[in-house]
Amino acid sequence: MVRFVHDETYSGAAKVAVFQYLTVAVFIFLLVGYWDLQVRNEGLYNSKAQQNQIKSLPMPAPRGRILDRDGRVIVDNHASFRLVLSREGLRDDHVEPIARGLNLDVQDFQARVRRFQRRPSYFTIPVKEELTSGELAFVESHRNDLMFPEMELIKSQFRLYPKDGIASHLIGYVGEISEAELNSQEWANHNPGDLIGKMGVERFYNDTLTGIDGQRQVRVDNRMNTREVLGMKPAVPGKDLRLTIDLDLQTVAEMALEGKRGAVIAIAPATGDILAYASAPGYDPNLFVGRMKSSELKGLLEDPTKPLFNRVIQSQLAPGSTFKPFVALAALESGAIDENFSVHCAGSATFYGRVFKCHKKGGHGTVNLHSAIAQSCDVYFYNVGRMTGIDTIAKYAQMAGLGKKTGIDLPGEKEGVVPSSAWKIRTQREKWYEGETISVAIGQGAVTVTPLQLAYAYSGLLNNGVWMRPHILDDGHPPQVDHTADINPLNLAKVLDGMCAVVNEGGTGAAVHMSDIVLCGKTGTAQRASNDLLKTKLGEEAFRDDAWFVGFASRENPEIVVVALYENGMHGPLAAPIVRDVIKAFYDKKARQKQSGAPQNLAAAVRVPGSDLASPGLRSR
Amino acid sequence: MTEFNDSVVHTPPGRMRVWSFRPFTWVLLPVLAILFQVYVPRFFSFLSYLELPLLVTVYFSIMRRQPPAGALTGCLIGLAQDSLTFIPLGMYGIVKTVIGYSAASVSLRFDVENSGLRYVMSFGFFIAHQVLFWALSHMLLGAHDDFKLPQTLIAAFLNGIIALPLFQVFDKLKSEAQ
Amino acid sequence: MDGLFSRYRNLSALLLLLAGQLILLAWQIKSNGETRLLRVWAVTAVTPMARGMELTRDGLGGFFARWFMAGKLEQDNAQLRRQTAQLEIKNQLLQEQMQQSGRAQALLEFRSQLPSKSLPSRIIGSAPGVQSGVFILDRGSLEGVKRGMAVVTGEGIVGQVVASYPTASLMMLASSQGFAAGVTSQKSRTRGLLKGEGGTCHIFGIRNEQPVDKDEWFYTSGEDRIFPRGLRVGQARAVKDGVDGKEIEVRPIALDGDFAEVLILLDAVHGQIPELATPSNPDVQILDAPAPDQNGPMTDPASPATPGEAPSAMRTDADRIRDHYKRVVESQNFQVGTTPYRAPDFNRQPAAAPPALAPATGAVPDNQAVPVKPSPEPASAAKVPGLISQPSQRPKPPAQDRP
Repeated sequence: MVRFVHDETYSGAAKVAVFQYLTVAVFIFLLVGYWDLQVRNEGLYNSKAQQNQIKSLPMPAPRGRILDRDGRVIVDNHASFRLVLSREGLRDDHVEPIARGLNLDVQDFQARVRRFQRRPSYFTIPVKEELTSGELAFVESHRNDLMFPEMELIKSQFRLYPKDGIASHLIGYVGEISEAELNSQEWANHNPGDLIGKMGVERFYNDTLTGIDGQRQVRVDNRMNTREVLGMKPAVPGKDLRLTIDLDLQTVAEMALEGKRGAVIAIAPATGDILAYASAPGYDPNLFVGRMKSSELKGLLEDPTKPLFNRVIQSQLAPGSTFKPFVALAALESGAIDENFSVHCAGSATFYGRVFKCHKKGGHGTVNLHSAIAQSCDVYFYNVGRMTGIDTIAKYAQMAGLGKKTGIDLPGEKEGVVPSSAWKIRTQREKWYEGETISVAIGQGAVTVTPLQLAYAYSGLLNNGVWMRPHILDDGHPPQVDHTADINPLNLAKVLDGMCAVVNEGGTGAAVHMSDIVLCGKTGTAQRASNDLLKTKLGEEAFRDDAWFVGFASRENPEIVVVALYENGMHGPLAAPIVRDVIKAFYDKKARQKQSGAPQNLAAAVRVPGSDLASPGLRSR
Repeated sequence: MTEFNDSVVHTPPGRMRVWSFRPFTWVLLPVLAILFQVYVPRFFSFLSYLELPLLVTVYFSIMRRQPPAGALTGCLIGLAQDSLTFIPLGMYGIVKTVIGYSAASVSLRFDVENSGLRYVMSFGFFIAHQVLFWALSHMLLGAHDDFKLPQTLIAAFLNGIIALPLFQVFDKLKSEAQ
Repeated sequence: MDGLFSRYRNLSALLLLLAGQLILLAWQIKSNGETRLLRVWAVTAVTPMARGMELTRDGLGGFFARWFMAGKLEQDNAQLRRQTAQLEIKNQLLQEQMQQSGRAQALLEFRSQLPSKSLPSRIIGSAPGVQSGVFILDRGSLEGVKRGMAVVTGEGIVGQVVASYPTASLMMLASSQGFAAGVTSQKSRTRGLLKGEGGTCHIFGIRNEQPVDKDEWFYTSGEDRIFPRGLRVGQARAVKDGVDGKEIEVRPIALDGDFAEVLILLDAVHGQIPELATPSNPDVQILDAPAPDQNGPMTDPASPATPGEAPSAMRTDADRIRDHYKRVVESQNFQVGTTPYRAPDFNRQPAAAPPALAPATGAVPDNQAVPVKPSPEPASAAKVPGLISQPSQRPKPPAQDRP
């Protein structure tokens, strides 16, 4: 100070000036820093806004829709808006008009806002989910800087599934990718937060259904309001997926299973198209959309009826008498018996020192192949099985596609078991006992199938030894042959005629005879092969027999084969009306189509060249 | 051009005169300038280029030749302008405070009655005003708009042109301070 | 020494002023800008002068007009113009009502819905500074003007009151950034959202598939709770398909004309805001929601379903088909999958479909694979989307067979 006073030269004054301005500059610099720290950068959002003046906002691509074979929508999307209030701009006297504008209870809303007052200010207050168009108009017209700038809209895409769990196991659902999935090979190229298909078609065709998210480069102000759109990469929506499912049949199948536990699967033998695919009980996939309460999830997981269990491809149960036609075919083809082979059924028979009962206590009397299939005589098939031998039975069952995965385009398929001597040595390191063959001959013992396998096995028989690969995706391409087998048509006809007699000649399925449709089929009543359900809370009901019915129509021109599993349904004939009604729906629809001039060959698939439909090769796995 | 040939840079201290205005003028001129800003562009949108409050600030500052008075004048006019706009109060206030102070500081060294210099000052302070406002809104409010240089240059040119006759009118209201 | 001191004094004064204003700024930003009082003073101080200038201008114009036209023609003219504007608004509302319902109903609804009071007002200035498109109106809270009120002319909507001071208020123009209003197209009654973009306006929220023609008129839908339903907005100047739905450019018709004189819609129909524990806000007006009309909900461009509905109400074709089948079997007293010895007839239609399904034709997916031909009979089957129709008479009686 003193030096300056004495320094009266011009350069001295200049130095003072420079010093002054320097001081001011430093002061301003410090002030700006203080401002940044204390005024602008307060709170998490503000600091984020600072670093992201140019932001890339993701534009979520809608997932492809899932359509039935006629293009009717099974799974849709809906965009919805969620309103949150940012706490920073919120003023007490805005609460009431906002509540009124959104038709909220003012007191409730004020209480909610008050609850948030103790939390950090970057917590936003959720106001309303799924805004209606009116509410959206209110929000948009009031959230400008001069009215209620604290209102923030968040847009999201949601999946819309059918209610009541229609086709829930087939479709599956989407959810956020989990930690475990992120680490797995299958989802290697996904990021945390991605929505992926968790089950069913949603999972298997995840890559096809998933679109490519777009991006919007925007310049935002400190309130995160978009000021300028710098560039835009539009979102590419996922491809629509057309399934082979027919919603008419699917609906009837679902209705037929109401109040039951079981599964229904319908296949067009000529193409392998899956026309209906139902597993009951189902679940509402809409529950998985958005936020699911943990109690709801717990309820689903702990439900003794296992609503999440996909019975069509995962339920491995003894097929019971529905296995007999394969035994008959094996016996005929191997020459173990001929069509005239007959047996006297007295209600039971003794083999290897053990008594095996027939389901009819009084016995069927003398039965031949035709009547034995029609009446489902166990004693007849004990004999046929013993004469044919386990390995021959296994050979023909495997030929029909049992005991291995069908290769359907759905995740999680189980293979079932077709026992043989080699199988027993491999799995149990024990030799096969002849007595075991007796049980297998009537579809009991170690033999287990899934409903899909059974339907697939029959579809090949009905298609004269040509098994078409079962598939869910209707991609417009010719159906693929999975494998073929050389079967004597005469032997095949004898077996199928027997199945015709089941329904049409007073057999075990007579209750589902229809005068205008030649429905053929086979009932099955099977004891539980596994004891898994015994452990559940179902109690006595879990000990009851499973009811099966395999049906097809017509005898001359088999267009559809339907398998119904009615778990603990006691008697095979109780599963028959399920199949009958699905087949009736099939022919009723054909009649409608004939009436309206639409293509009639339903089984041969109604296809319209759809450019944006998924093409093969896009399968995720 | 002759005026440019005058020595505008060094005004001998003896010749430096300080002007004063009646209190009425102090109030009326800024209010009229702000009113003009609010009202007239509604009918003649091209007049929205004018920054009359700035010109008034500059005029008072250079005539008073007292930086604190200049800063205060700028501050008050700026705040008044702020209160009629819908940006946070103080933005125009700060900018005009700085301009008022600078204008008064400059006037200590130059002959402020020289028309050429008046033009240059109006032109320069207009640009400074716009740059400062832009910088402040970036730094303090987090705005992200780009600075429009060509428009600013044209507007500065026009403001300079307007300033000359305007200042001469204002000159009629002044009286020499004792 | 003196010079040095005076320099420091100058600088101190500058820094003091700057610091003071910085603190003022910081306080506003931190407290979210509650400086209403200062602004009220400023606007209140300026308004009388601006009004005076406006009157002077008007008076001068009037003087010359009277000079040439003589008498009170000009005065009458001004009053008539104001009346015409009000009548035109009434007329618009009335016409809308008449179109929607019967004449008697229209009159009733009109009486209950017409803004009982509208306040003529003048624009006396534009708010200088950053917010272009904000104008000062010469009426304020003393005359009942509140934030959130609609500003219109006889031609259509002009803007919205965004701030009100005792003697003046601020209006945001419909074309300015941040403005939004719910609109409905005249022909197809498609609903969308008009947003100002600083100069032009665009309508958003309309799917590409929805029909909107160029030059089609748009009216307010009332959903925004600012503008009552049925006010004219403007014509679609350009319509094109975009990524997120239709891109429709609209210029509010009122903005093309002279809107120096406007009407502020004060609506006395709306009740008082009740007293509440936390401060209520009598300065903001929120209109009651409009009565529902027959038109469907606004469809979101990104959503083929119908948002705007509660999600529980949204359904896919699968749900609709299921409902249909349920009704069919219920009408036959049949339990699918259970009833023995009798097969259902899925083609026999139930006696009468509930009205909920009746207009379902609009919901048929766009890429319907099977061409659904209209049923030769008007009833039933064709009303379910995707259900292939058949006449309701069945060729044969239902099967009643036993083996």
